[in-house]
Amino acid sequence: MSVEVKNVTKKFGSFLALDRVSLKVESGELVALLGPSGSGKTTLLRTIAGLEFPDPGDAQVLFYGEDVTAIPASERKAGFAFQHYALFGHLSVFENIAFGLRVRPTATRPPEPDIQARVAKLLQLIQLEPLAQRFPSQLSGGQRQRVALARALAVEPKVLLLDEPFGALDAKVRKDLRRWLRQLHEEIHITTLFVTHDQEEALEVADRVAILRNGRVEQIGTPEEIYDHPASPFVYDFLGNVNLFSGRIKDGAVVIGGTSFAAPETSGELDADAVAFVRPHDVRLTREAGGQTTFAARILRCNAAGPVANLELERVHGGGQFAAQLSKEEFQQLRPKPGEQMFVELKKMKVFPEDYSI
Amino acid sequence: MTPDVPTLHLPRRTGRRHSTSESPFVRRLLIGVALAFLSLFLFLPLVSVFTQAFAKGMGFYVHTIVDPMTLSAIKLTLIAAAIAVPLNCVFGVCAAWTIAKFDFRGKNILLTLIDLPFSVSPVISGLIYVLVFGAQGWLGLYLNADHPRLPWLANWLNDHDIKIIFAVPGIVLATIFVTFPFVARELIPLMQAQGRNEEEAARVLGASGWQTFWRVTLPNIKWGLLYGVILCNARAMGEFGAVSVVSGKIRGQTNTLPLHIEALYDDYNFTGAFAVASLLALLALVTLGLKLWVEHNQAALNEVEVS
Repeated sequence: MSVEVKNVTKKFGSFLALDRVSLKVESGELVALLGPSGSGKTTLLRTIAGLEFPDPGDAQVLFYGEDVTAIPASERKAGFAFQHYALFGHLSVFENIAFGLRVRPTATRPPEPDIQARVAKLLQLIQLEPLAQRFPSQLSGGQRQRVALARALAVEPKVLLLDEPFGALDAKVRKDLRRWLRQLHEEIHITTLFVTHDQEEALEVADRVAILRNGRVEQIGTPEEIYDHPASPFVYDFLGNVNLFSGRIKDGAVVIGGTSFAAPETSGELDADAVAFVRPHDVRLTREAGGQTTFAARILRCNAAGPVANLELERVHGGGQFAAQLSKEEFQQLRPKPGEQMFVELKKMKVFPEDYSI
Repeated sequence: MTPDVPTLHLPRRTGRRHSTSESPFVRRLLIGVALAFLSLFLFLPLVSVFTQAFAKGMGFYVHTIVDPMTLSAIKLTLIAAAIAVPLNCVFGVCAAWTIAKFDFRGKNILLTLIDLPFSVSPVISGLIYVLVFGAQGWLGLYLNADHPRLPWLANWLNDHDIKIIFAVPGIVLATIFVTFPFVARELIPLMQAQGRNEEEAARVLGASGWQTFWRVTLPNIKWGLLYGVILCNARAMGEFGAVSVVSGKIRGQTNTLPLHIEALYDDYNFTGAFAVASLLALLALVTLGLKLWVEHNQAALNEVEVS
């Protein structure tokens, strides 16, 4: 039981938006499509909704085993929430939500009392009952997004598709709505795909995250999996701040500027240029030289505002600048000063051969 | 004078609130010139139309209006407008829909063609119809040919004595031609600005193409459409050049209001000409009023959208 796309390719002129993409979303799952702009995530979502059709070939879109590839959007029974809501400006909130029910052919259209009841229930779900008679232009951005969601849910869709649902909202509203969406999903358990370019949003809300790049799915997995085990430098870089250290792989270790760090995953490679990816919070600072496992760096700037302290450092023996993140306690114990020289230990790293590019 | 120290003095000239506003003298001069122009070229003629129309009293005015020739001209003008405006309305919506919502080859050519009636002199467009449909034109050649193609069509046209030039169909055709850009031109930018999102939302919610048009597109463009229709109607009723070429000016039969005014004027019946002209002037005033009302509604809509 799943919503599935297989081998979907889509070209716009000479631009390859989707390159043989296959993706499977299990029933009741909440999956985020994450990627930079132009990665094809919105095109993929629109293809599932039937607003775009894949290029001819062996492409398939399946809703719970049923092939809907050739079925137009109006008959697919997908719920779609647009980035800019696309609410009907001339209809009240109530009528917006009722729209999908009212346009049904007489044979399948629910009787008026049922429509009223269902819309009332959805209004309750989105906590906007008092605003039923307002018009979209009289609502805030967050309220509009919730109406758009209710409108999509009113037709009892087989899958809910959200295009950058919080993209046009300010940071505070965004966080609230994110939490609300997660709760809503827990309540109604509808198979949901949402597009975002915000990695924090994807990692916080989704059951699984699919990372797209240049029209391909780069990696798919639970937020934990993809954060802890990124499959490529691109994913590593996309999921948060990262430091790059270039070095050389030698006998299951990577040598960075004379210091050797254990890198067991590179044992296959014998002798090659490599780049080590290290998250700022995996950088540890000490005042004692640790021999083979540390290198010296000078502190350039410290910023201790907020829950963690962010530091910028420069390697003493050349090799450029990098960032470190310390907890408040560590920072208060160490009390590093700009200009001071300290020793750097890398707690965790991921090494990719040099020919990988971000 | 120390230029570095910020001064908190009031602006040098009082009443100058924005950086772009001009001195009172320049402002008054500009307003004065604009007002003088307006009254000289618009207001004065309008007043004179009405004073001239009533120069021989109310009796003569009514007499001119209820004259069978005038009534026939009114009727013909109304018929031409009643056919041309709805047709152009349908055409305008179709063209705007096609241009705004689809991408296809030759889109720019279609856009340019829509503007053709604006760029061609109305007399020329009338002449084109004479050349195509007149007795010496293609239609005439076809009807008089010894062995026309589709003989049944030629026979049918001959039997029913269908005439286009110097008859009502020609007037309607010419009116349609000169007024067809109004609705399309009004709607294209509006529909382009609105994009396709709402239509797409309606489709995903299960609405058919027809339902999408009636329930989503039409309500969104109704003020723009009304505006286009008002302008189209004003032009349709007031058109002189193109209609004058194709009408043949048969009094009581093929004279529209503007042509009837010219005929009266040529007869030295100045007061009568102005009396009929006052009807068109009245139409213009009503059009302006409607236009203001529609613009007001449109502006109110936009304001809400922005906020």
